[in-house]
Amino acid sequence: MTPTEPATRPAAAQAAARPPLPVKMVIAGGFGVGKTTAVGSISEIEPLTTEAAITEVAAGVDDLSHTPRKTTTTVAMDFGCITIDPTLKLYLFGTPGQERFGFMWDDLVEGAIGGLVIVDTRRLDDCYAAVDYFEHKQIPFAVAVNAFDGHVEHTMEEVRWALDVNDRVPVVVFDARERGSVRDALLVVLEQALARTEG
Amino acid sequence: MADGRTPSSAGEDGTPPPGPDPVGHVHAVRPFLVTAGRVAPSANGKTMPVETQVVATAEGLAGLDRLSFEQHDIVAACRRPQSIAEIAARLRLHLNVVRILSEDLRAAGQLTVHVPDSGVIHDASVLRRVIDGLRAIPDSRGVLRDTD
Repeated sequence: MTPTEPATRPAAAQAAARPPLPVKMVIAGGFGVGKTTAVGSISEIEPLTTEAAITEVAAGVDDLSHTPRKTTTTVAMDFGCITIDPTLKLYLFGTPGQERFGFMWDDLVEGAIGGLVIVDTRRLDDCYAAVDYFEHKQIPFAVAVNAFDGHVEHTMEEVRWALDVNDRVPVVVFDARERGSVRDALLVVLEQALARTEG
Repeated sequence: MADGRTPSSAGEDGTPPPGPDPVGHVHAVRPFLVTAGRVAPSANGKTMPVETQVVATAEGLAGLDRLSFEQHDIVAACRRPQSIAEIAARLRLHLNVVRILSEDLRAAGQLTVHVPDSGVIHDASVLRRVIDGLRAIPDSRGVLRDTD
């Protein structure tokens, strides 16, 4: 029945180490809403920053562009990771939520298990692009209102109304500086993702 | 994470980074000169996801001396599995440069490249493992999350 052969040891240093399965979540939102803080609160490494060159076709929507030419922009992306177990690693990528970074989004979000849109209630409009993006791409996400200094300027109902998000999209209050708070916000997203696989 | 002073470019096993610490230096070479002008991320037309895992092969490590510059640094950085995002950040290279060079190094047998299966998004068992793993993370005061 059960094969009795001893556990075969890997051919040690000969073979390349087996990498963990990587999964990723995207932390989105406008500048300064606490994306990097949230990543840093829960990541097992200091958040790393990488620059990605993106090519955008200036289609005339950008006030500053007068020529419909391709331009290359460099955007910074902060990220961290959490080793779930030796075979599974969660990456958290923080990315600017501006619409003009659309190319970056596709590049980054493809294959993400979920997204968290961080919102500063004093600047709600900064997060519209991210909300629209996740809805359009049908990526499970939640809206997390960052409680700067422990308070929020609007009620959750007001936030929900202002963002015009679907009733099924969870809106939570969290504190990007608190590991447990970030963890719980990510869990809300993951529960959404899990519910979709079952529904 | 408490001290936060570990140089990010050092290998996880404590080995010093190859060459001088690149932190704070400006790129002396335009990124796409490094890739001989290539900007297309991969051979099969699909962009290599940022979380793609890359590992040096024994052959790659044995032949480190014969590699130069970025190729050398990438193979040296991948003694342990790394995502291409980590490689880009630690070596201060553009993501697309890492994508292109990783593909080259894979074709030459110096790296293995593990592109994640996109179906994992819909895999409930993987999602449950991530959920359980996150639940086990204590909050800042070391208290486990209450089950609701």
